[in-house]
Amino acid sequence: MSEFIINAENQPPREVNREIKKAAVDYDRIVVKNPNAMHYIAAGLIEPVELVIDGSAGYFAGTMVDGAKIHITENAGWFPADNMTAGEVVIDGSAGDGVGQGIYGGTVAVKRDVGSRTGEIMKGGTIIVGGNSGFMTGLFMMGGRIIILGDVSEDAGESIIRGAIYVRGTVESLGKNAKIDNLDDDDLKELKEVLPEYGFDLSEEDYESFKKIVPRSNRPFYGKESEEG
Amino acid sequence: MCGIAGVVYKDKKLHPVGDDLTKMLDALQHRGPDSAGLAIYGGLGLKENEYLLNIEVKEKHGLLEAVKETVNTATPIKKEEIIPSVENYMIYRCKIGLDSFSELKPLIMDIDKIDDVIVLNGAHSFEMIKDVGLVKDIAARYDTTSKMGTHGIGHTRFSTESLVDRYHAHPFQSYIIPDITVVHNGQITNYWKIRDPLERKGHIFETNNDTECIVHYIADKLSEGYKLEEALEESVKDMDGPFSYIVGTPNGVGIAKDQLGLRPGVMAENNEVFAIASEEVSLREVMDTHDIDQIAPGETRSYTI
Repeated sequence: MSEFIINAENQPPREVNREIKKAAVDYDRIVVKNPNAMHYIAAGLIEPVELVIDGSAGYFAGTMVDGAKIHITENAGWFPADNMTAGEVVIDGSAGDGVGQGIYGGTVAVKRDVGSRTGEIMKGGTIIVGGNSGFMTGLFMMGGRIIILGDVSEDAGESIIRGAIYVRGTVESLGKNAKIDNLDDDDLKELKEVLPEYGFDLSEEDYESFKKIVPRSNRPFYGKESEEG
Repeated sequence: MCGIAGVVYKDKKLHPVGDDLTKMLDALQHRGPDSAGLAIYGGLGLKENEYLLNIEVKEKHGLLEAVKETVNTATPIKKEEIIPSVENYMIYRCKIGLDSFSELKPLIMDIDKIDDVIVLNGAHSFEMIKDVGLVKDIAARYDTTSKMGTHGIGHTRFSTESLVDRYHAHPFQSYIIPDITVVHNGQITNYWKIRDPLERKGHIFETNNDTECIVHYIADKLSEGYKLEEALEESVKDMDGPFSYIVGTPNGVGIAKDQLGLRPGVMAENNEVFAIASEEVSLREVMDTHDIDQIAPGETRSYTI
């Protein structure tokens, strides 16, 4: 495996991203040292490369990535993996608001707590949160799945249209068009497949405590369910 | 956008708060280039009823003398300093004594009557430094990195509605009670609903800036006996719009965030330091950020020493 190291210290995001994209063509693995919570790291990365951000990232880490596997060893700010189409963003620490905002595919895994509006307007893919998730988790979610191992704050699933939110802990309140549903065997099978893959080892009792938040209606605001597009 | 930051040393001793805040704000420079400011508490060492005035004076023949005469008419100037600024302005800084805090605002209003002169602030327990331009330039102009204190707050500004000048740079101060300051990121959209009752109570507004509205609101609550945390909680219920702001008082700092969580705020804490900021990159300047908390929508946090 070929590896390339980038020192981000005192460099602007544009220069760091230019180096990442150039190295991604020739190397299998890239390590960004001294990221110092810089914004926009790895924005628009479309090579299927393994990228380690050795420290914290700022806003929009891994936005619009397609196929890269990104590992952030500390925290991330707002909107990590925003609009990702394929690939993986794993965050060892905590993250801010809008984790996985608008993703179409791929997986975002945050080991600890995240802020508000996790997975807002996401259309596909998977978001896993090891800790708690804040206000309006799954806001206007249109597909995919969110798995929260801790608790979720108020208005979970606000205006959810499609997809599912799995919560192991408590749900403070549900948003408009959201309801709690029972998990079926397929749901449990999915959870048992994906969670260990990201280092979350749960007991059978843990799995049994999951709740599933789904939409009440696919056309909650106007039109008829038969017109669902 | 705007960037906000605050830091408290829990041991109540003097620390390089000016240097800390300068670094924290420089790390947030991308959030606003228009102006920047700091309120550094605990390091002035003024005697009871002594105050430090920061007065913006245009470089014009005879103007500084007129300012001094106005001040001296009210009370003798004990110490003075001139700090050159930009755009043909200087900051005239003087130490004065008053019989009581209630004399401070009337004196400031008297000085403000002089054309091309405006009092940026008058304080007893904190040092206000604010100017137009970038954090590093202002830091060099005012030697912010040498300033010691127990705690402080700071701001780097991306202006939206009101003017870009020294007076509209943050922090804003209220004179309802001594030494209350606010730095703010966002907008208060029910501004007049907040301002009207405060004006009817006799509180004086000098600008149409919503940050001034916040600082008077908080000072009014504190004057009524609310604790800082309680005043912050009330403000979150009463104020609409996207905001996160930090309040500085003579013995602490606190942050409040709007109920929809539309502006950022993070905090970290250890045995020595309590720090809050818009982004983690700022907190990293003063402490290890392995464990940072996102301030939740509608949440408040504070630390008093």
